[in-house]
Amino acid sequence: MPHEQITLYTAKVCPYAQRTEIALAEAGAPFKRYEIDLGNKPEWYAPKVNPASKVPAIAYGGPDVPPENASPESTKLAESLILVEFIGDLYPSSGILPADPVQRAQARFFIETVSTKFSPNFMKFASGNPEGTRAALLVGVDAIQDLLPDGVKYAVNDQYTIADIAFAPFWARLNVLVQKGIGAYKDEERKSFLKALEDPKYAKFNGYVQRLLARQSFKSTFHEDVVAGIFTKRFGLAK
Amino acid sequence: MSEQLTLYLHTLSPYSQKAELALIEANAPYTGYQVDVFNKPEWFVSKVNPVGKVPTVAYGGPSVNPDEPSAASSKITESNVILEFLADLYPNSGLLPKDPVSRSKVRLFLDANSKSIEEPLYAFLGGAGSYENVLKGIEVIQGFLEEDADFAVGVHYTIADASISPHIARLRVITETDAGRFPAGMGIKLGEELKGPKFAKFTKYADRVLQRASFKQTFDQEGVATFFKAFYARAQ
Repeated sequence: MPHEQITLYTAKVCPYAQRTEIALAEAGAPFKRYEIDLGNKPEWYAPKVNPASKVPAIAYGGPDVPPENASPESTKLAESLILVEFIGDLYPSSGILPADPVQRAQARFFIETVSTKFSPNFMKFASGNPEGTRAALLVGVDAIQDLLPDGVKYAVNDQYTIADIAFAPFWARLNVLVQKGIGAYKDEERKSFLKALEDPKYAKFNGYVQRLLARQSFKSTFHEDVVAGIFTKRFGLAK
Repeated sequence: MSEQLTLYLHTLSPYSQKAELALIEANAPYTGYQVDVFNKPEWFVSKVNPVGKVPTVAYGGPSVNPDEPSAASSKITESNVILEFLADLYPNSGLLPKDPVSRSKVRLFLDANSKSIEEPLYAFLGGAGSYENVLKGIEVIQGFLEEDADFAVGVHYTIADASISPHIARLRVITETDAGRFPAGMGIKLGEELKGPKFAKFTKYADRVLQRASFKQTFDQEGVATFFKAFYARAQ
């Protein structure tokens, strides 16, 4: 069934925006991609697309216009998790929304856990906030591992779902930072985090994140060089 | 749907009231069970929700007494996850519309409710938040409402209405009783300001949504007022 046009306003560095790009890739959906320079946003962006001035945002429907000239007739939608559900609703054959309501609820609870226990600590760690310790990161890792079922490929079952889409961009960015020593934290914290993850008790978590990073829709939307470059400029290298 | 559904709740909790409202509006059969959250039973923490919070849904599995939960039922927690679950279980109930854009609008409302109503209101009640943020939040939510709307989004009762109405009711308890850890009189003042023309659209919507039978059935006005006065008593 033909859908209306989708224009995605996004930024390569942003993990929230990557969630939406992964979902679109999983759906095989045609869309227009427009990169917003987060350090220098175009003055038309807030008034015409997203008053909160954030990415990601989608302009859906309306006439076929250039992204810089978004039409008032298109519906403007924002908030990465809402956009991922929107793409799942538009493209049910993508499979990113489990068919079973209980598994959908499990996927959404997994996402809640990522939002409350993992992502806040990731930014604190990167920015050198004293609360962003190795221990805080491991709280997030433990919370996520506790939810992973045994013997399945992804967060809910063997199907790649909105749960995996929500987590992958955040894990990938933390992974780049700690592998390369980028960020305003002490290098000791980074080393001891990596050492902690080598413990066999994290085998399930490590297997899971490897599969996340190997997923084609993740790889095609992840720009490691851009992420490394911007995070280095913003936070420097670990001391 | 022939699977059993048990909702572990507490009449003082706005979050468990959200789930009850959605169940009633969907005409869904369910068993409600009040958990003494101030003195949690061991079986609730070990067999239903390790975090010990309400609302929690136990779905499926054999028919058992709520205080003897089965390991075979699926346990679902977090009020907004439960609301989406109920909309999935009852796709023709209208709890969520069918078209993707309208569903997104309901979700944007839920998101705005969390950030603009829940956070500022309970921070204000607890003495940690500002009066101005409560008003700003209400203005944000008002921006989502259509003029003279019966419902938060579209033409049917949705999980958007279920998610906000318990908080609107508690806002009214605050403005009518002045209960809360904010400076004395600020609750009354808030109520006066909300009666003004600037908030007319919100007030009309609030009046309507609190009149629904499902709401009156699930809201213990006296209980909440008594609780607020005791729990959020001002330091003398």
